[in-house]
Amino acid sequence: MTAYARMVRPGLADCLLWGAAALFILIPLASFLIFGFFSVVSNSIDYRPTLANFDELLSNSSYRTTFFRTMRMAFLVSATNLVLGYATAYFIWQRPPAWRNLMVIALAIPLLMSYIIKIYAMRGVLGTNGLLNSATMALGIIDEPVSALLFNLTAVRITLSVVLLPFMVLPIYVALERIPASVLHAASDLGASEIQIFARVVLPLSLPGGIVGAMFTFVLASGDFLAPELVGGIEGFTYGRLIFSQFGLAFNWPLGAALSIVLMIVALGVIYAARRFGNPRWQR
Amino acid sequence: MRRLRLLDFSLASVTAFVYLSLYLPILLVFVLSFFSMRRGRVNWETFSLGWYAKLFKNEALGDALLNSLLVGIAAVLVAMVFATLAAINANSRPSSRSAQFLEYVIFLPFLLPPIITGLSLLIYFREAGIPRGLPTIIVGHAVFVLAIIYRILLTRLNALSRSLVDAAHDLGASNLQTFRYIILPNLRMPLLTSGILAFALSFDETMITLFLTGTDATLPVRLYAMIRVGFTPEINALIALILGFSIILTVALAYAWGRNSGSGGNLIAKTSK
Repeated sequence: MTAYARMVRPGLADCLLWGAAALFILIPLASFLIFGFFSVVSNSIDYRPTLANFDELLSNSSYRTTFFRTMRMAFLVSATNLVLGYATAYFIWQRPPAWRNLMVIALAIPLLMSYIIKIYAMRGVLGTNGLLNSATMALGIIDEPVSALLFNLTAVRITLSVVLLPFMVLPIYVALERIPASVLHAASDLGASEIQIFARVVLPLSLPGGIVGAMFTFVLASGDFLAPELVGGIEGFTYGRLIFSQFGLAFNWPLGAALSIVLMIVALGVIYAARRFGNPRWQR
Repeated sequence: MRRLRLLDFSLASVTAFVYLSLYLPILLVFVLSFFSMRRGRVNWETFSLGWYAKLFKNEALGDALLNSLLVGIAAVLVAMVFATLAAINANSRPSSRSAQFLEYVIFLPFLLPPIITGLSLLIYFREAGIPRGLPTIIVGHAVFVLAIIYRILLTRLNALSRSLVDAAHDLGASNLQTFRYIILPNLRMPLLTSGILAFALSFDETMITLFLTGTDATLPVRLYAMIRVGFTPEINALIALILGFSIILTVALAYAWGRNSGSGGNLIAKTSK
């Protein structure tokens, strides 16, 4: 046993760390899981366990529709961003090193900017008097401003796509950068064409980055309620908003918790799948 | 060959589109903050700092800014203490099951949708009889930023030679001395870097905060309320100021990272591992 290992007293460290983790992470998560099995009776919480919330969830078709619509939207955001993100990451990877660093930093900067502000800014782009309408009108593509761009599910999709793009490009770029130059040289020395190198070497080695990016994008998009609330209007009602409303006006915390349990199962499933398939054996 | 050039061109176009979509909307808000609007249209002849002047008279916003700063600093400090202990624990016992599981637990609030972290803490605090307020927001933010600080510290510790610590012990240093003179100096830059990053995350955090806020709103929560109520031109000025603050944080972060690793390119490789 090295001196370093002796420095930390395992018993004490475990007590301290697990105690804090239990108090602020595990017990809160557990209490939310349990809450899904309670109900609300005349504006106060009934602590007798029941499956009523889940029954409601399965039988109420508007909840189901909202759920599937939101998952579809999150999937489309992930798919769109996977294509855009891969192309961008690949392009950055092909630049000279000095350019690469600059471009990567320029991608990371928006991550430090306020989420609310980025969503709000998208309103300025998509609105009736927004940038997109003004620009297409000035170019003569359309005559009348299109109002269909804002306050619907499409607006939510576009906004989430834009806001979540860095989460896709960055992991793909990291995966590309990790490909050893020797592997590429070897492929080329053995006579592979550029297209073959891409299809047989670069793509398989960088796809795990794409899977991780798609996971981040899907988990964040499926649970988001700020973007739908601010650019979605009534049409853009999503599962996240449904949950959030249970903690506001609707005041049905147990139902909100039950709805979130479903969301959490989906999120954990996606995270697990990404870990399973996003980590090729040689990297593990 | 021509086909390849076409491919290059399309890749470049997609990339340009991605960067434009990231920056153009924000640039637009920034430019508009200097002009006034009439019937939904921008009046370009009215360049002024008027909205900024109005903004500074708004006391509710001043309070919100102070709350945000307070929450950010407190949450980062709390998370740093815990993350340091957890990282040293994990680094010194690499094969320990307990440390491995703890890592999963630390990552949970960061990986799960923020809405779940927010509502689980809300339910927990309510059942524990703790009223919503700044302390509950601080806990929410600390739990959220914990993973990123932990990850950065652990990466640094793993890169350190273990014989450094062993040598200190052989030379008769106590545990505390080893921590003070060997480990802590090596963690100084990662602590600074991850601290700035975590502060920036906390400063912008909205989804968890909306669940945990009582009467004391943070800046993004106040902004959210303003945007929902409707359009007030002050919003653009406020947004420009917050963006300015984000840029300052970003520059500070880039500087710290530059001193930390010598190049900005490692920034991502280190955090997203």
